[in-house]
Amino acid sequence: MTEARGAVERTPSWDGDRPAVWGALAEFDTPGALLHAAAEVRESGYERFDAHSPFPVHGIERAMRLKRSPVPWFVLVLGLGGAAAGMLLQWWVSTDAYPLVISGKPFFSWPAFVPIMFECGVLGGALGAVFGFLAMARLPRHHHPLFESSRFERMGDDAFFLSIEASDSMFDRQRTPALLSDLGARHVELVELIEPIEPIEPIEPEGAPAERDAAPQGGAA
Amino acid sequence: MSGDRGMGETGAARDRVGVDVRQVSLPADHPLAKLSLGAAAVGAVALVAAWALGGPRFYSSYLTAYLFFLTLALGGLVFVLLQFVTRAGWSVAVRRLAEHAMGTLPLFLVLFVPVLLGLGKLYSWAAPLAEAAEAGGEHGALTGSKAFWLQPGFFVARAAVYLVLWSALGWWLRRESIGQDRRPDPGVTRKLQIASAPGLVIFGVTVTLASFDWVMSLDPHWYSTIFGVYVFSGAVVGILALVVLLAVALERRRGPLAGIVTPEHYHDLGKLLFGFVVFWAYIGFSQFMLIWYGNLPEETVWYRHRFEDGWYPVSVAVAVGCFVVPFFFLLGRDVKRHRLTLSAAAIWLLVFHYVDIYWLVMPSALVAGPTPGFSPHWLDLLTLVAVGGLFAGALGRLMVGSALIPVADPRLAESLSFENM
Amino acid sequence: MSVSEAPRVARAGVIPDVDPVEVRPLLVTGDPGFHGVTEAVARPVEWTPPVGWYVVLAISVSMLGLFGVSIGWLLWEGVGVWGNNVPVAWGWPIVNFVFWVGIGHAGTLISAVLFLFRQRWRTSINRAAEAMTLFAVMCALVFPGIHTGRPWVDYWMFPVPNQMSVWPQFRSPLMWDVFAVSIYGLVSLIFWYLGLVPDLATMRDRSKTKIRQVVYGLFALGWRGSARHWLHYERAYLLLAGLATPLVLSVHSVVSFDFAVAQLPGWHTTIFPPYFVAGAIFSGMAMVVTLMVICRVVFKLEHIITMLHFERMARLILAMGSIVGLAYGTEFFVAWFSGNQFEMFTFLNRSGGPYAWAYWIMISCNVLSPQVFWFKKARTSIPVLFAVSIFVNIGMWFERFVIVVTSLHRDFLPSSWDYFTPTFWDVATLVGSFGLFFTMFTLFVRFVPMVAMSELKGVLPEAHGGHHD
Repeated sequence: MTEARGAVERTPSWDGDRPAVWGALAEFDTPGALLHAAAEVRESGYERFDAHSPFPVHGIERAMRLKRSPVPWFVLVLGLGGAAAGMLLQWWVSTDAYPLVISGKPFFSWPAFVPIMFECGVLGGALGAVFGFLAMARLPRHHHPLFESSRFERMGDDAFFLSIEASDSMFDRQRTPALLSDLGARHVELVELIEPIEPIEPIEPEGAPAERDAAPQGGAA
Repeated sequence: MSGDRGMGETGAARDRVGVDVRQVSLPADHPLAKLSLGAAAVGAVALVAAWALGGPRFYSSYLTAYLFFLTLALGGLVFVLLQFVTRAGWSVAVRRLAEHAMGTLPLFLVLFVPVLLGLGKLYSWAAPLAEAAEAGGEHGALTGSKAFWLQPGFFVARAAVYLVLWSALGWWLRRESIGQDRRPDPGVTRKLQIASAPGLVIFGVTVTLASFDWVMSLDPHWYSTIFGVYVFSGAVVGILALVVLLAVALERRRGPLAGIVTPEHYHDLGKLLFGFVVFWAYIGFSQFMLIWYGNLPEETVWYRHRFEDGWYPVSVAVAVGCFVVPFFFLLGRDVKRHRLTLSAAAIWLLVFHYVDIYWLVMPSALVAGPTPGFSPHWLDLLTLVAVGGLFAGALGRLMVGSALIPVADPRLAESLSFENM
Repeated sequence: MSVSEAPRVARAGVIPDVDPVEVRPLLVTGDPGFHGVTEAVARPVEWTPPVGWYVVLAISVSMLGLFGVSIGWLLWEGVGVWGNNVPVAWGWPIVNFVFWVGIGHAGTLISAVLFLFRQRWRTSINRAAEAMTLFAVMCALVFPGIHTGRPWVDYWMFPVPNQMSVWPQFRSPLMWDVFAVSIYGLVSLIFWYLGLVPDLATMRDRSKTKIRQVVYGLFALGWRGSARHWLHYERAYLLLAGLATPLVLSVHSVVSFDFAVAQLPGWHTTIFPPYFVAGAIFSGMAMVVTLMVICRVVFKLEHIITMLHFERMARLILAMGSIVGLAYGTEFFVAWFSGNQFEMFTFLNRSGGPYAWAYWIMISCNVLSPQVFWFKKARTSIPVLFAVSIFVNIGMWFERFVIVVTSLHRDFLPSSWDYFTPTFWDVATLVGSFGLFFTMFTLFVRFVPMVAMSELKGVLPEAHGGHHD
């Protein structure tokens, strides 16, 4: 969540007396076409857009200039924390809470404590991976305007989509779909908004920190 | 090791910096080639000096140095065998470096002679009976099956078998691979793939028995079934580190391998290095913890020798240097992709692989002698230089003689273009 | 591209779509394309299952019923219903525990280890293999739970404050087991579920009924296939694979510690950890082969789970079996070499004593039967694959039996020597555990897509065809 978010209002779902547009959705045939289109859209200056595919398209994060995922840090921190917690638990129980004399082994038998320490570390790391993923991907999120599009149902099957949100400053009801068509989209549609939502976090332009006000509704008119 | 192709590869052609693969070799006047020639000379002189000047301590120092470099050569053998048996594609660009390392195996046949000459001084069971009973450890002379297995004649015969088998296997594999350079034929690859499986069986059995014979029997009353695996894991760490260093030395500053060995290869080698550092620690810890837990005096004696008389800091150094530090260092992705950081890790690991071998050999070799404690000796360094120089010389000679990559390997294209996740 | 051009082409860095040495289609035959894969995998989850599925379910559930009855009777009467007695105080329950944990390990190997090694062929079988792991771990965990003698105070094994201020004894390998196997189950579940999310989204979007849409949708977490999702997902998946790999090694090592920390000949030997891990992968792979041979036919997935997959699995089975064989040889050799009369006796007793029949079943099933896989014809023959996979699992069960029972029934004190015989309830509990396993697996293939669609699509040639930089 960037500071710019505080300045962004939730996109209202009505625009005058007709439903507001959430954004444009373009469907492509092949992963290559999607990759190319995503790069072009990024070059054109759009920041609030996304690509959707049934499997990860190799190279698309580079084309979209997405930042590297911080999930590894979750794993590292929670993993080391888990291992430390495991060792600490065993140490406390064996030396203080319930010390037992077992075949003359010292109370703090660290060789015997390594297996559980290791397992707790792995558990911590695994939880870090999954919670890191959920946090960074902002999931679960069961309601999204894209689910209203019937074509989008093929996202998990064999279709590749590019979506550009209307909250992007460069969005235009005519020009944006036209651009997508020119990039080889098989089908372009404007997706309506059913209820107010938060827009996607923008992909930061190179070199400039998020100082630009993300204008609430660009050119949506 | 990739079975078909890298997961993230593209189908598009991508041109490498104009490299003609036929020219990928080490010219005889390259600084590295000249260095290896010098190293061989230094090594020979050092060996003679160590032999002449060293007293009884010579043999244990020599055995340590010998085993250190032998595990590198054996590591080369197992690396090549594994790459063939898994039909790996990523490693083709670096495999030839390991082939050169394994090509030095015949040298170790010759270098074993000083060990043979010092059999009685190194191994208490090989000494004349009276000496053995007195100095051969707390339990006196060997009897029964151990006396049968550990008698000098049988021991030497077995050693010859191991060394000959390794040399033959290594030499044959290397010869086939180099032959493929001149006569491109995927049938060669198929043949080597088929041969690598039984090759691994032979490797497994011989290395297990050799570890028992040459290292474990230094403490003849002790035994540990996992010992062969422990030596094997150290050897793999060693060869991976050596291949990294060779690759870096030959790739940097527009060397012969520039444009061929990529950060992708470094990344994979780094990942394997990390994995085997962890594996080594797992094996080492398993052995230690089980012996500690069972607390049987006939087993714990081996660790007792390594915790007393000043050896305890060395034991800690082995654990910290072979595992803790490299584990955290090699955790990050970028560290494995840059040649500076990866080669630093490789150098560190080679140093500590030596410390590991030293820790395996010396406490047991010295415990019955006049100076049982940890006492680094100039002979340790001199023998290291001796064997190392000869090893480097052999390696250099092998590298000059043939291409630095298997130029006609059918999977070379894949190796040059794969991408990591 | 002809091979003689290889040197030139190597410079251009072109990767052929087909492995240049073993020329054959790599992964999926018949070129179904992405939609074809979706249809082939999703259809079995959506159609009315064939009668055979109901039959299998009925049989599995009745075996599960037997399991319930056996456990109920055990709780009522006590551990005496089993054959466990001095000197063989650990009998079938611990053998079954190790057996089931071992089977689970192949699933993690296929999921995690093969992923790290970029083996794309894993994508056809990893979902089913991971599910197999989960169910095998479930079966495994039951045994230590019920064999404690007083299962109603099993909670004393967990480090939580209780009314008697008792805390666990952490120096016991049985405690390490509690942590290791539970954490293994949990992490496997996490890993399996993470991989499932994109496929659940696919199922959600295909649902024809409201219930399916709601249930699949709930567990799909709102997945949209977004590039951002995939970015974090791939990172998390890679790290989970990296964590699961040492976890697999550690879990069966911890299980082996149950025996190796003791001072019993035949148990106290340092090679147990890697030897048990290799054996686990060995038996688990065999179980995967058994399951896949059946499933691919019933669910018409022969073009997705192909001979390529079976050949690779057969080679892995051969490799792991060889490592197990090497370990047998090492143990035997060192027992002889050690000159320790107790060690030597244990091994002579195993091969020539009252349990020699079990020992030789183990050797013929584990060491001899996989040897046929040196021959390509055997590796690519479904009947041979199926037969060997069954033998291997039988052999691996007997390996644990031999380890546990032969070392215990004749240890240091000859006056305590005895011959262990299982009771009806020992057998019933084992058979019942298969009931639990097959019930879960049968339900799994009915309601969850059994192939990882998104992963499989990602490794098809079409997934990177059309990339032009």
